[in-house]
Amino acid sequence: MQESPPTATRASAPTTKTAVIGAGIEIAGDVSASADLSINGKISGSIVQSSHDVDIAESGKVKANISARVVKVAGEVEGNLAGSEKVFISKTGRVQGNIVAPRVQLEDGAIFRGSIDMDPAKVIKPAAPAPAKKTTESSRVATSAGSSSAGPDSKASGNGTGPMHAKVTGGKEPGLTLKSG
Amino acid sequence: MNTVATQIDGDEPASAPLRGLAQQPSKLFPSLFRSLATDERLTILEVGSALPETVDFFSRYKCRIHFVDLFAEPLMQNLHRVSGPEEMRQEFEKLLKFPDGTKLDICLLWDFLCYLDDAALRAFNNALRPYVSRRTRVHGYGIHHLAIRLENKQYGILEEDTLSVRKRRVKQPKTHPHTQVEMREMLSCFDFERGLLLPDGKLELLLKARNNIENG
Repeated sequence: MQESPPTATRASAPTTKTAVIGAGIEIAGDVSASADLSINGKISGSIVQSSHDVDIAESGKVKANISARVVKVAGEVEGNLAGSEKVFISKTGRVQGNIVAPRVQLEDGAIFRGSIDMDPAKVIKPAAPAPAKKTTESSRVATSAGSSSAGPDSKASGNGTGPMHAKVTGGKEPGLTLKSG
Repeated sequence: MNTVATQIDGDEPASAPLRGLAQQPSKLFPSLFRSLATDERLTILEVGSALPETVDFFSRYKCRIHFVDLFAEPLMQNLHRVSGPEEMRQEFEKLLKFPDGTKLDICLLWDFLCYLDDAALRAFNNALRPYVSRRTRVHGYGIHHLAIRLENKQYGILEEDTLSVRKRRVKQPKTHPHTQVEMREMLSCFDFERGLLLPDGKLELLLKARNNIENG
């Protein structure tokens, strides 16, 4: 078992602060971001929140409630979605849960089960993400076997034969805080 | 007027397939909204799957829509296997479970009632009863004899007077025609407000809560 630096990485462009959870990464716990958050891997916890946007890519799977300014789902979500501006489910998106947002948009092909609470006149502010304080508590981050395709900046590594655990401290990744579940 | 065929708010282009949607006018559908104060929060039950145009239509209202795709439930292919009225009621209660205090303003049943046999129709009515108030209005379709061909279609809302019609993805359940008199007897929560015979033989229905329903 090898320890590695954080596997959640931030896009390199200085003007676009996007924290990326790469494909092949599994996080068991809560995720809080003060930047845009792109999820290509799996998250299982109670909450994923950002004061900006959360984008669940086609490969992304989230089993948690999500709260953000704009929530876009192209992957799978089992949990409630709260968007202070908007929730968008694309044609490949699968959502089971309840949605609260001033504006909700589904693309043809999207699959949604649950209730939608809309109020065009209301803007809901997501809960402010927890400050990016350093935590001494380790989060469990596991990559799937053969996960070399994890995010482009991912430094996670394993022997390719099974799950790998890596120590992640929230303070090392600007804009992103992980809390173990 | 297919509003979803155009770009909606700048950042997300509307889905191209929506442009080719089949449309069906509805004379009764606008009546659903006339008696409701649409500036108040509306609570809606949609028994079909969540369609983009329906969500887009309701995005102009302050509302909560419960999407419960009853057509896709295994129960609909197995109605004949349910042993009795009590079990049937319990099956529908499991499917129609909303937060305490929920009172529905609008029920979008489409042609769902055509797929319920007598026992299922009564059970559905009873399972819905806790959520029906004096404000509740229902839109749906009925057929009164088997000679009327019911296509396996699902409906969405483009405008108050225009519905979208798509091929339904799930297997079509067995149809059970009912006369209006039979439906009135079995749907004890509702009265028939208006009915309109359509060219294809279906009856477009508008129902309202009966007077014996408590205000909620």
